[in-house]
Amino acid sequence: MTKQGAPAIPAIEVRGLNKKYGNHSVLEEIFLNVRPGEVYALTGPNGTGKTTLIRCMTGLAFPTDGEIRLMGRDVHTDGARARAFLGAVVEAPAKFYTQFTGNQNLQIHANLSAMAPGGRKVPRERLREVLALLELTRMADRKVQEYSLGQRQRLGVASAILADPKVLILDEPTSGLDPLGIGLIHRIVTSMATDGCAVVLSTHHLREIATYAHTVGILTGGRLVDTVDLRARQAAYRFRVDDPVGAAAVLERLPFVRKVSTRTPFAIAHLGGEARVPDALARLSEEGIRVFEASPDHFDLYEYYRERVEKA
Amino acid sequence: MITLLLLEFRKLLGSRSAKLALIVTFLLPLIWAFAPRLSALIQVNMISGWQLPAVSIGVTIQYLLPLFIAVTVAETIGSETAQGTLAPLLLRPVDRTKVIASKLIAALVFPFLLIITTVAGSLLAGIPLGFGTFTGGTGLGPGLFVGVGELSGGEAFGQVLRGAFLSGVVLMPVAALSLLFGVLFLNTAASALATFATLIVMRLLVVLPEAIQRILLTSHFGIYVQQGDIGQPLILLLIYTLGFGLMAIYAFDRRDV
Repeated sequence: MTKQGAPAIPAIEVRGLNKKYGNHSVLEEIFLNVRPGEVYALTGPNGTGKTTLIRCMTGLAFPTDGEIRLMGRDVHTDGARARAFLGAVVEAPAKFYTQFTGNQNLQIHANLSAMAPGGRKVPRERLREVLALLELTRMADRKVQEYSLGQRQRLGVASAILADPKVLILDEPTSGLDPLGIGLIHRIVTSMATDGCAVVLSTHHLREIATYAHTVGILTGGRLVDTVDLRARQAAYRFRVDDPVGAAAVLERLPFVRKVSTRTPFAIAHLGGEARVPDALARLSEEGIRVFEASPDHFDLYEYYRERVEKA
Repeated sequence: MITLLLLEFRKLLGSRSAKLALIVTFLLPLIWAFAPRLSALIQVNMISGWQLPAVSIGVTIQYLLPLFIAVTVAETIGSETAQGTLAPLLLRPVDRTKVIASKLIAALVFPFLLIITTVAGSLLAGIPLGFGTFTGGTGLGPGLFVGVGELSGGEAFGQVLRGAFLSGVVLMPVAALSLLFGVLFLNTAASALATFATLIVMRLLVVLPEAIQRILLTSHFGIYVQQGDIGQPLILLLIYTLGFGLMAIYAFDRRDV
């Protein structure tokens, strides 16, 4: 995970993106940055332009106005170089040549990945590795037409991570997957982000995404109406106390506390990390405030999203 | 580029329409071996196996081969769009120009493959007639089937090769046109229909003045039997091929997928 405040060149940079089909505007003035190691979840009601935005970001669709850069390279004017860093699944389930086996399909993608300017050959071991990672080893030599939807989706993710991308873009990656499959994709996405890969994924599963995304962009009516930094939200802790207002005043004076609020019977403070909780408890105790409970103040993304979309 | 070309040929030859076209063009000429009324219909007395390729090409080049080419080439884009496999291909670090250029090359080779199977089937059907020296013509050389005297097996083979090659060249613009429509419509049926409709409309334009007829693609479908200087029609066919091909590349380069 990228440390907050650490300067980093955006892995994905969307500037002033507009997309129109005829007179119908699908995306309006989208600005968006995703840093290396960040998991950015794109959400919004159906038909609000998520897939169009993803298609523009991957270079499949051309913007009417604006530009998109992957690792500093324009995906539309310097496409081959920009996509050298990209792994993506833009349809759910992922699409493959059904007449070929899973292994053959991955080999095709490996060969194409090696065509990047300065690209290296993807070794056969890597194919076996990603198939094993996505639990598809048994299916590797079967034609894709025999795969279930979930298996195709997992093969899609295998193909996306095949060439160790620096930018991973996934459109509804857990669509059609069973709970174990969903967990598997979560682990892979988290692991890729930990290794410094910027991840963008579109999803409707807000409570699920809230557990591992760093940022959530809410897209509605073709506009990015809000960007929620979940890291900042999740750094909040709530203290059930006998005097919430008094507790808030005490907490506010602590140097590591960034923001304080009350929600009776709780005093809520943004501490910047779990390690600060004992210090906060000690200070409250010193000031004579009785603390009955201290716990993370989980941000309800679903409720926030509902409110935000209704207001938009 | 080689990677893309191999992939395109693999997909092309693996497609159902290509397989059907290759099988039909190979098997159709075999009918000539069992067709007692063939000589009566084409008003030529078949005396050599070398004459059957001309019969097969003549029968198929106006409609059947263009139809097979239009459908199969349109499918190289249309079926990829329908199956959703075009997008994953374009997500890879490959120039769009190279992707469509490799499709164009595969499309331009396909007419020659069909002509090869047509000629191979015809020669197989011609075995009972033999391939020795005969008096007459192959239908692809001077004097057409009547010929200009005695023709050795080697000379006849040369005429068949020339005719087959020119037939492939004649069909190249059809393949390029189908690819252009494929890029514009991203749909197999629409692209194949548009290609075929364009050819039919061109044929109907015989009502126009001769100067315009001379530049119509369909006016030169018979150059595979023409003798003498065929440079001008050949250049025109290559211009058509290049023009349609470049338009397909240009259209694909800025096409939302």
